Amino acid sequence: MIRYIIRRLIWAVALFLTVTLIGFVLFYLIPADPAKFACGRACTPDMVKKVAHYLGTDRPVYVQYGKFLGRIMPVSFHGGFHLKSPNLGRSFVNRQSVDYTIGQAAPETASLVLGGLVIWMLIALPIGILSALRPRSLLDRVSMTGVLVGISTHPVWLGLMASWLIGYKLHITPIAGYANFFHPLFAQPGGPIQWAYHLILPWITFAILFAAVYVRMIRANVMETMNEDYVRTARAKGAPEARVMRVHILRNALLPVVTMLGMDVGLALGGAIFTEQVYSINGLGYQTIQALNNYDSPTVLGILVFVCTSVIVMNLLVDLVYAWIDPRIRLS
Amino acid sequence: MTTAQTEPAAGLDLRGDELLVVEDLKKHFPVTRGIIFQKQVAAVQAVDGVSFALREGETLGVVGESGCGKSTMARCILKLLEPTSGRILYRGRDLTHLSRAEMRPYRREMMMIFQDPYASLNARKRVGFIVAEALEVHKMGTPAEVKRRVQELLEVVGLNPEHYNRFPHEFSGGQRQRIGIARALAVNPKLIVCDEPVSALDVSVQAQILNLLKDLQRDFNLTYVFIAHDLNVVRYISDRVLVMYLGQIVESAARTDLYEDPKHPYTGALLSAVPVPDPDVEARRKRIVLEGDVPSPINPPSACRFHTRCPRFVEGHCDVEPPELVPRAGTPPDHAVRCHYPLERWPLTEQEMRRATPAGPAAA
Amino acid sequence: MPLLEVKDLKTYFSTGDGVVKAVDGVSFSVDKGETLGIVGESGSGKSVTCLTIMGLNARRNTMSMGQALFNGEDLLTASQARLREIRGNDIAMIFQDPMTSLNPVHTVGTQLIEAVTLHRDVPKKEARARALELLKQVGIPRAERRIDDYPHQFSGGMRQRVMIAMALINNPELLIADEPTTALDVTTQAQILALIEKLQADYNSAVIMITHDLGVIAEIADDVVVMYAAEVAEKGPVERIFRSPHHPYTWGLMGSLPRLDTDVDRLAQIQGQPPSLLRPPAGCRFHPRCPYVMDVCRKVDPELAPVGDDRRHLQACHLDEETKEREAARLLGAFSTEASAAP
Repeated sequence: MIRYIIRRLIWAVALFLTVTLIGFVLFYLIPADPAKFACGRACTPDMVKKVAHYLGTDRPVYVQYGKFLGRIMPVSFHGGFHLKSPNLGRSFVNRQSVDYTIGQAAPETASLVLGGLVIWMLIALPIGILSALRPRSLLDRVSMTGVLVGISTHPVWLGLMASWLIGYKLHITPIAGYANFFHPLFAQPGGPIQWAYHLILPWITFAILFAAVYVRMIRANVMETMNEDYVRTARAKGAPEARVMRVHILRNALLPVVTMLGMDVGLALGGAIFTEQVYSINGLGYQTIQALNNYDSPTVLGILVFVCTSVIVMNLLVDLVYAWIDPRIRLS
Repeated sequence: MTTAQTEPAAGLDLRGDELLVVEDLKKHFPVTRGIIFQKQVAAVQAVDGVSFALREGETLGVVGESGCGKSTMARCILKLLEPTSGRILYRGRDLTHLSRAEMRPYRREMMMIFQDPYASLNARKRVGFIVAEALEVHKMGTPAEVKRRVQELLEVVGLNPEHYNRFPHEFSGGQRQRIGIARALAVNPKLIVCDEPVSALDVSVQAQILNLLKDLQRDFNLTYVFIAHDLNVVRYISDRVLVMYLGQIVESAARTDLYEDPKHPYTGALLSAVPVPDPDVEARRKRIVLEGDVPSPINPPSACRFHTRCPRFVEGHCDVEPPELVPRAGTPPDHAVRCHYPLERWPLTEQEMRRATPAGPAAA
Repeated sequence: MPLLEVKDLKTYFSTGDGVVKAVDGVSFSVDKGETLGIVGESGSGKSVTCLTIMGLNARRNTMSMGQALFNGEDLLTASQARLREIRGNDIAMIFQDPMTSLNPVHTVGTQLIEAVTLHRDVPKKEARARALELLKQVGIPRAERRIDDYPHQFSGGMRQRVMIAMALINNPELLIADEPTTALDVTTQAQILALIEKLQADYNSAVIMITHDLGVIAEIADDVVVMYAAEVAEKGPVERIFRSPHHPYTWGLMGSLPRLDTDVDRLAQIQGQPPSLLRPPAGCRFHPRCPYVMDVCRKVDPELAPVGDDRRHLQACHLDEETKEREAARLLGAFSTEASAAP
């Protein structure tokens, strides 16, 4: 098991380096000059050069990458070996610390994603299981149609429709915006209730797509597990259906769901871009788009590092949980 | 006994005109461990020193339980797996180290029939395509000739040639196996390796396929290597039989000799374990029930691999000195056995089996 | 009174293609402590018969008719709750593939204990002790350690032993074994059959052994039911079936078996394939494959009738008695002239 973890960690580092390098190089290859953009239209070439030097974009790409890596390492060699906190640099556009930007944006995205996760599982689990128990029944047909609609409906359209209908027309929820859980900004709503109130529509919008996919997956897994020989054995022993479902079917059917959850959450933490845009939530997705439009490489790369790390960590966690739950893996 | 080869040519009474000669074939699958760089720490010794010779028109039956290596050996003979060591001589030509391109002309002469009639046919292809594929790969004939040949083959194996355009799922298990046989016959091979071709079939269909195989052998002068775990079936179809255990041949004999006068305790146990459809015979039978499971091929027992389960085990001898596969005095020269204390007579009860012959390398 | 009496059992499945008559009028009985062998090929209905008795068929699209009297109680009309009381307790069943019949994420001990606690109100410690006792009885070495192992850590033969332990743990009166050795090696098969025979004697259970292997039947059965295409072709005491078979299908089955103890020149073969259960042949279901087919066979499905005076030996065939006697003798004569001494 330890061997397994070490191997995964080594791969994680290799993956991380690869992803960030590719991101870095891609940015470098874009035929737009960030210095020019940062400086503004009124700048002369001389001033642009000065800005480029200030930002560090006139150095060769490997030097820039090296500095980037140096910044995110928790250790430093300047003036002797010592620990330091990793930092992601400063935005080309407004010199704001990327750490700060992410620090502001990540909780908003996390609120959206984690809340959405709870809702989508609350929808998907019962519907998926019930559909599997009664295939081709009315419930099953309705839910499969719902799945189709959920997957096909674009979150932006859905979000706009929901926000218009429920927020604007019916005044049930706010139209858009994010309320801070702890520290409301000046003249902004805040506190836990407002936080949840503002997030209801975004949660539902975000969750619909995932719920649809998961209903299908859970239904398929449960149906397949129900036909396994060991389920028949359990019934042959005289176990009541509820027990068969709980102890024998679900434990096995939901194992793959754990894997998928980890991956999906890791990815979604990178930014539920559509939902954030529609509801004006300044999460990571929103920030990424802003930064891309401004050719703001440090911010984009910073968010990339964050997402990459979160995906890798979630994947590793999922693998560990899976190995712990499934004795066939644990004991091989 | 030559020292250059590990396996003396026991039972390999080579006249020089054998169709297939296998010398000391070994196939080991590496077991690796390691964090980044995988290092081989052990090997699954699936086939560990198998030698035999096969004449044209003969059927060699290979019998053994799971893990004995018979399927792996079959694939090595046809070079579907690369042998770890040893030689495969087909009509005198050494095939062991030939490249894929060099092997191609030989593949025309050596075909295989598989166990699972449901998995061994491509479900997306029509039957005509499946049977014709080898013909097309070896460029044997124009499309019209190929089609005619395929229809001819379907008829030979007892199928309706009009079903040329059907898909495999439209046929029953037995019929699919016939398609597999037609496929193997398409290019006029000399040697067909049959890997448990009737194990997945019902008894009544099994008889049809076995009869068909026998007829085809007679009509087309085919040579078979017939692998099975069912001793009844092997008796019916084979001329000679090899018994395998954990990657080695433990006994090699002509058919009737093996079944009526087995010499290896494992063969005896196998024969006594097979239920016979006759209640009186069953009631009278002397049963030998082996203890325990087959050991793992990663770490086979020392010296004689059967010693952990053998009723005749003699400590200090069987677990120290590996027995050779040699004929015994008093038996025909083509009846070889790998045992220090081969059975004196047959049938024997388990009790009788335990009383080994006096110490020393056995004489019958 | 027999322990189990099955009367005219029928099980029909409605599928998209029509009604599949998987079991179509099967009757037999099993006495206490006896072994009944049900032999047939795939599609004969042998497994579905026993699944129906246990109530283990999927409930949707399934119709079952007839009676399955267990100690006088009809299982087909019993409530689900009553069936659950009986399953695993009075009647136990083991299945063909030991690799997939055990839940991979629970230990063997957990599954054995479950079998006990489902039917007995005992503390877990006691259930565990009983589980351990059974594991030893079925010959699992180092049972105290292995009881906490997972199924994938056992070999196929060992897993089947665990299944047997699980089935017998509550002392059932009847054990139904559905092809328990088909997926096992022949030496392991011998071990498992010997084990079943021994435990049957210890527990005085009756056994229904479902198999396609006539050799297994000859080895352990007292009575035999030969099934073909969802019906009973022939049934009777094992010596009668083997010494004096009275149905062309039985002759075909026996003649098409390659023999261990003798060299056979050519196997008798039954032409054709087993029939579809969606649209079974009219009249006698075996008639398209029968070398003795007569006109009446194409129209009328023969009833089970006794052979001569022997009320225990029944067969369903239109052929006259004389022909049957002659053909049976011919078949067995062919065996005995070729057979050498028994192995």
